[in-house]
Amino acid sequence: MPGRRRLMALSIPFAAVAGSMAIGLLLIAISGKSVPDTIESFLDGAFGTAFAVGASINRAVALALIGLGFILAARANLTNVGGEGQIAVGGIAATALALWPPVAGLSLGLAVILPLLAGTLAGAFWGGIAGVMKVRFGTNEVISTLLLGFVALLMVYWCVQSTALLRQPQTSSSTLPESLPIPDSTKLPSLTGDPESPLHIGLILCLLLALATAIVLQRSTFGLRLRAIGLNELAARRAGMPGSILLVAALGIAGGFGGLTGAIMLQGEQFYLKAGFSSGYGFDGLVVGLLSRGSTLGVLAGALFFGFLRSGGISMEIMAGVPSALTLVIQGLIVIAVAGSVILVEKLEAGAR
Amino acid sequence: MEETLAIFIASTLRLAMPLMLAASGELVSERAGVLNLSLEGMMLTAAFFGALGSWATGNPYLGVGCAVAAALCMSAVQAWLSVNLRANQLVVGIGFNILALGATTLLYRIIFGGLSREEIPGLPKLSVPGLSDLPFAGTAFFQQSVIVYFGFGLILLIWWMLNQTSFGLAVRAVGDEPRSADKAGIPVARTRWLAVLITGAMAGMAGAFISIADIHTFTENMTNGAGYLALAAVIFGGWNVGRTIAACLLFGAATALQFQLPAMGINVPTAFLLMLPYLLALLAVAGVVGRLDPPTALTLPFQRGK
Repeated sequence: MPGRRRLMALSIPFAAVAGSMAIGLLLIAISGKSVPDTIESFLDGAFGTAFAVGASINRAVALALIGLGFILAARANLTNVGGEGQIAVGGIAATALALWPPVAGLSLGLAVILPLLAGTLAGAFWGGIAGVMKVRFGTNEVISTLLLGFVALLMVYWCVQSTALLRQPQTSSSTLPESLPIPDSTKLPSLTGDPESPLHIGLILCLLLALATAIVLQRSTFGLRLRAIGLNELAARRAGMPGSILLVAALGIAGGFGGLTGAIMLQGEQFYLKAGFSSGYGFDGLVVGLLSRGSTLGVLAGALFFGFLRSGGISMEIMAGVPSALTLVIQGLIVIAVAGSVILVEKLEAGAR
Repeated sequence: MEETLAIFIASTLRLAMPLMLAASGELVSERAGVLNLSLEGMMLTAAFFGALGSWATGNPYLGVGCAVAAALCMSAVQAWLSVNLRANQLVVGIGFNILALGATTLLYRIIFGGLSREEIPGLPKLSVPGLSDLPFAGTAFFQQSVIVYFGFGLILLIWWMLNQTSFGLAVRAVGDEPRSADKAGIPVARTRWLAVLITGAMAGMAGAFISIADIHTFTENMTNGAGYLALAAVIFGGWNVGRTIAACLLFGAATALQFQLPAMGINVPTAFLLMLPYLLALLAVAGVVGRLDPPTALTLPFQRGK
């Protein structure tokens, strides 16, 4: 039955997620912690209060944006592993602009929009570097985006270590290496108006961008060309497509999504820049992108799942004393299982046709 | 001044050693057509299990054994996924790195507790008799951990194996022309498996060096990108043993500057010095040294008759 085979192929990511979570539970049990208590604190942190739900959805927004950029570049057969660094440069640019006095006084929402744009452009530039390296020198984008990520993380460190850059004025020896908090007028407006919930308008922005990405990938010439270049670069170039421009654009847009994520994380939740600002969202978003198998809806679903997983993981660490590194273990296992089962999926899908 | 230079050379060697070990191992696998982005994860896993083994048995040499065994296990799974299941090597590598970071952090917290900085039995430094007292070269070259001398032996062995043995020829054949190699009767899958296992063993030594020989403890994410630098060194080195080692020494020297310049009173922002090895690696992979010529079948799985 072809329908059943297709269903089985679709169910593999779910099986990988379920299996990895089962291993996670097993690890909790082995470490001598109470499994029911851990699950309770996990659920509490993920869904327990309005605050928890809002925070989880905000996390999902960040992961979804990275994931959207990832699948767009993946359409051109490019693997953007630089989300972490793109978030970092986006955060730096957004902080710099939000702290620049003239910006905070702007009306018509520009005080919010300009830092968001600055973050996006900075991320696009960072991703674009990898694109240029790819088309000029043939550098594999996996290596270049990874290395650019390390450089970007150290740039954040540099920015908050030096008062000449973004560090707050040092009034005493205990002044932390952080930027000043950004002015209220540059913060993302709340979505609900409820002060209990941290949920901000980043969610709306994210849903709009998801829709736009779906349309671009499915219905536009640009999306078609990305797919063509991803399937067979040489043939696409012979057919007259501007291969180099497409590749740079794909990585640039993916980077732009990363930079926007950084700006949203800064203006929506963190409000000041500090070292380690990106805190793994780039890699989690990459996992979301990988699991979605190129589908926009898949990205949104995966982002929600990992957003709640992350919130629950943090609460698990605080309440039940189970290190949140457990969620990394689960993620790593999922990625390996999904990558390893590709052949199986292809066989099943070939059978379904 | 001379003393400073000697210390600089010594710390360059010490910091480049894990890169050299990992990169020369990775070189074998890449020449066979398999890319292990998981190198970082293998090193981190090895660093952890090395520290654990050394702490549990009280014997640093057994610790090195544990490190190599752990990295070998990981490379076996990598080989199975890359060679038999023909999985995307880059994606698998990313998965392994996330898993290794999570698993070592988790196990470390469970076994050693939150913020322990427990010292583990480390490998001794070996002062080579007669040579370690030489005025300049003594400090620079002959007061290193035993693994450094052993490591150079291993690297020479890899050079010899790749360039002078029939196994080395087979490795290069399956990396460049797997189809022809297969027709000539070279077992492609088995050769690639062995090559990946060699990478695992060397990554194990590299991880052991970091935790057991150098730092004498384990800290979370202690490899901090060394695996990626090693991968960049292989590219920079043009898939050639000698040039890869030179690239590792360059990255090691860039890292050593972090300690050397402040000690000499030269004021450069720490962040820039920390960035320097990655910046150099970026320039390196951009091919500033000329055209790069990777093995033809790198990252391409092989399937007979397809």
